[in-house]
Amino acid sequence: MEDQERVVKYLVSVEKLANDILSDKHEIVLLDKRRNHNREALRDLTKTNQKKCWVTVGSVLIKHNVDAAKSLLEADQKQLNIDINKLRSELKVKVNNLRDLEMQPPVPGLMLNPLSSKETEALSSSKLINS
Amino acid sequence: MASIAAAQVQEVRSITRIERIGAHSHIRGLGLDDSLEPRAVSQGMVGQKMARKAAGVILQMIREGKIAGRAVLLAGQPGTGKTAIAMGLAQALGPDTPFTSMAGSEIFSLEMSKTEALTQAIRKSIGIRIKEESEIIEGEVVEVVVERAAGGGGARVGRLTLKTTDMETNYDMGAKMIDSLLKEKVQAGDVITIDKATGKINKLGRSFARARDYDATGQQARFVQCPEGELQKRKEVVHTVTLHEIDVINSRTHGFLALFSGDTGEIKSEIREQINSKVAEWREEGKAEMIPGVLFIDEAHMLDIECFSYLNRALESETAPVVIMATNRGITRIRGTNYRSPHGIPLDLLDRMIIVPTSPYSHQELREILNIRCEEEDCQMSSDALTVLTRVATETSLRYAIQLITTASLVAKRRKATEVSMEDVKKVYSLFLDEHRSEQFLKEYQDEFMFNDGSGDAPQLMEVSQ
Repeated sequence: MEDQERVVKYLVSVEKLANDILSDKHEIVLLDKRRNHNREALRDLTKTNQKKCWVTVGSVLIKHNVDAAKSLLEADQKQLNIDINKLRSELKVKVNNLRDLEMQPPVPGLMLNPLSSKETEALSSSKLINS
Repeated sequence: MASIAAAQVQEVRSITRIERIGAHSHIRGLGLDDSLEPRAVSQGMVGQKMARKAAGVILQMIREGKIAGRAVLLAGQPGTGKTAIAMGLAQALGPDTPFTSMAGSEIFSLEMSKTEALTQAIRKSIGIRIKEESEIIEGEVVEVVVERAAGGGGARVGRLTLKTTDMETNYDMGAKMIDSLLKEKVQAGDVITIDKATGKINKLGRSFARARDYDATGQQARFVQCPEGELQKRKEVVHTVTLHEIDVINSRTHGFLALFSGDTGEIKSEIREQINSKVAEWREEGKAEMIPGVLFIDEAHMLDIECFSYLNRALESETAPVVIMATNRGITRIRGTNYRSPHGIPLDLLDRMIIVPTSPYSHQELREILNIRCEEEDCQMSSDALTVLTRVATETSLRYAIQLITTASLVAKRRKATEVSMEDVKKVYSLFLDEHRSEQFLKEYQDEFMFNDGSGDAPQLMEVSQ
């Protein structure tokens, strides 16, 4: 009986973490979708020469000042970028935790800081790494 | 995640590569179970349990990065599986750990000094893991629209619609992006990536959904799945490069082409120092990890006293790889001196080493090895032929018996038999002399050969290394 309980407990912890990872990934997709919509909206707002525009807030349409709408969108973009980056870095830790639970070695180099773009450029131009 | 995919791709590649059957091509690992206990016959390894268990412990230490700056000596008679154990260790370490294999005599060359050759071998055995990161937009092209402003000559405007399985979006493009899109001949149905930092466009292939668009396609048409998930991705690729490779691309006189031509020549020590400090800086910033690899020196008794003292010093460095040497010599003269020492290796270096002995194979083990070699060389052998062959292996040498497998199978093929019989083995045994019978023959007919010094026995012959 005790063994069974332990197995169930273990499986629950693995599934929970795995589910967490999947939902995080889905969350990133949703956030990126919104980021792209905002970007399209911002571009369209720069093209228009009207003073006011329609903004949806939830299910309500509001007529709003163009400049105010723009700053709203920009603030939203900023927050979205932060959220996505945060989710991505948390995801790495979670993936390594899951692999740890599944008795697999951590992904090599996952927690490394990336090389600067200049360094990457130098290495790839000398064909040492191909990007 | 990308690194896993990369590792898998590498593995697939190595399977497709056609390999010649080499003396140790049947070895796929050390044949140990999870608790490092050697299995009797596994992964091409037979017997030699103590040595394999020792190699397993060493393997664990290498994986945990605990053994840097030490050396291992595999010592044993010829044909007791020293090279096989080193090969097994290399296989067990996996493709991510650098493993350099060289023969002791390789360092004697006219182009390079001995210590330079050793330094290069050592630096080839130290890997650096680095990560490259880029923000990319990846998606399938739904539509590309390029419009010229009215009146001509004005700025062009373009719009690119990209989608993944989860979303779709528009991008307005400037003149530069339009140019590069046109240059890459991007059209609807292509799967592309755009590097956010550089704006570089990379065509991955055509989407499977568009596979039926045309009847005739060019050779290069490659079909890929429509990407999943978000459009703007963060791509992380982990690379493993060796210190030697970084040395070569920074060595101004040669440049990176030397990586491929193999003509590296000597590398200045200042360059190595610069690279060492750069790598140290990267490690400080968390940008690089060091992977101490393995340098395997076969026939280590061929190294001379200078090399040994150089190795002694090099092992002290904190970036030293694990040096594994193999030798089949007993107490003999150290090359370059008149002193005698066990294994032909100076005592001070021997003191730093973990010595793993290999012992001669038993009758049953020999049979097992011959059986594995038969499978490796695609040769059906009857069991009494195998018995004879095992007897030959016990009385002469394992290497000679392995030679007989291929020759006997050719003889069997000539008489259109599917299986090698005892007669085939006997025939090749009479056709090809082993070392002992050859020596016997020479002793008998010594007088009829040229340049015979008349002493009757041939001690020089025995000096030939295995």
